[in-house]
Amino acid sequence: TIRSLDHTKSEAELAINIKKATSPDETAPKRKHVRSCIVYTWDHKSSQSFWAGLKVQPILADEVQTFKALITVHKVLQEGHPSTLREALNNRSWIDSLNRGMSGEGMRGYGPLIKEYVYYLLAKLSFHQQHPEFNGTFEYEEYISLKAINDPNEGYETITDLMMLQDKIDQFQKLIFSHFRTTGQNECRISALVPLVTESYGIYKFITSMLRAMHSATGDNDALEPLRERYNAQHYRLVKYYYECSNIRYLTSLITIPKLPQDPPNLLAEDESAPAL
Amino acid sequence: MSKVIRSVKNVTKGYSSVQVKVREATSNDPWGPTGTQMSEIAQLTYNSSTEFYEIMDMLDKRLNDKGKNWRHVLKALKVMDYCLHEGSELVVTWAKQNIFIIKTLREFIYIDEEGKDVGANVRIAAKELSALIADEERLRAERADRRIWKSRVNGLEE
Repeated sequence: TIRSLDHTKSEAELAINIKKATSPDETAPKRKHVRSCIVYTWDHKSSQSFWAGLKVQPILADEVQTFKALITVHKVLQEGHPSTLREALNNRSWIDSLNRGMSGEGMRGYGPLIKEYVYYLLAKLSFHQQHPEFNGTFEYEEYISLKAINDPNEGYETITDLMMLQDKIDQFQKLIFSHFRTTGQNECRISALVPLVTESYGIYKFITSMLRAMHSATGDNDALEPLRERYNAQHYRLVKYYYECSNIRYLTSLITIPKLPQDPPNLLAEDESAPAL
Repeated sequence: MSKVIRSVKNVTKGYSSVQVKVREATSNDPWGPTGTQMSEIAQLTYNSSTEFYEIMDMLDKRLNDKGKNWRHVLKALKVMDYCLHEGSELVVTWAKQNIFIIKTLREFIYIDEEGKDVGANVRIAAKELSALIADEERLRAERADRRIWKSRVNGLEE
């Protein structure tokens, strides 16, 4: 890289960015600070300092700070250097410990959200540990669907694992919606939906292309019937989720909410006639 | 006024003539970068590797600028887009290696003093540019035939 890297200086800047991203203000973690954390992991090809920096922040003392730390972690896992996912595995017990600062609802009602976020992130990390070929946002890569065709059993298992994660996203987003408050902007809660939309859509695209590939490779429609049923159910839930997101102005100004067809696409169709995603 | 300060900074910070060109093209002025500015910078990427890195370093600085300087970011994206088409092959390599800088700008936020969401310009430009960098085939086609992209990356005001 040609970026001039003064190590001590950038460590100090990282500490400031982490502190500001996880400030006690009940807002979204500021994108510029989150982005700086992400760019740091690429510049240094490591996330070690990011984790170390998080651990010295007094985030457990405040539920908003804890929740913002979880959002920041999620974003860095998604967009950071690939080493971030591997290094995160060593920090699972710290992520788990974020649960323990809270008892019950919490003053501002973040208790259940923190609990569910910790549960989701740990599930995400387990998935990545078992399937290291996926990146943090499950971006479509042709070779993974090809791999599934070569080994249908492994493909079946991967799809099942992805669907489990998709169900957990659905469970979590519903909890977030049910915790909106009638006063205020809900910006902090809404900002947690951003990485969930990205992630659910990445997973959806993957499952769609993998299932299509499996159908045309194995030709065994009966064996894949349970997966098709579950796929269809998840499709309808996602349509509903994205519809609800598209009514939140803060969200639509920030990201493009994916538009899915009302009914699930045909997985048995040949690639040429299959609808584009 | 900003123009005067910029030329003072150019001298006090000891910027090279190449860097001054990039700074001019990606300034906070509400106009530009012009087609002429962009095509000059694109040509300069074919010169020595020192000059190439001076350009990329300056664009990198501008891309990582803060929200208040959203015009720096937006214009750096425009110049980058132009150089990807008309500049040296090294620009393509650089962009692929550093795509995360551009991808992470897809959620850039800045609301100006009048409450206007000016960050949207950056988000759209970053989304288009990262899609282009990731699409090898399209990039090759557009580098081979300037008519395809010319209307898209014209100077803002000439």
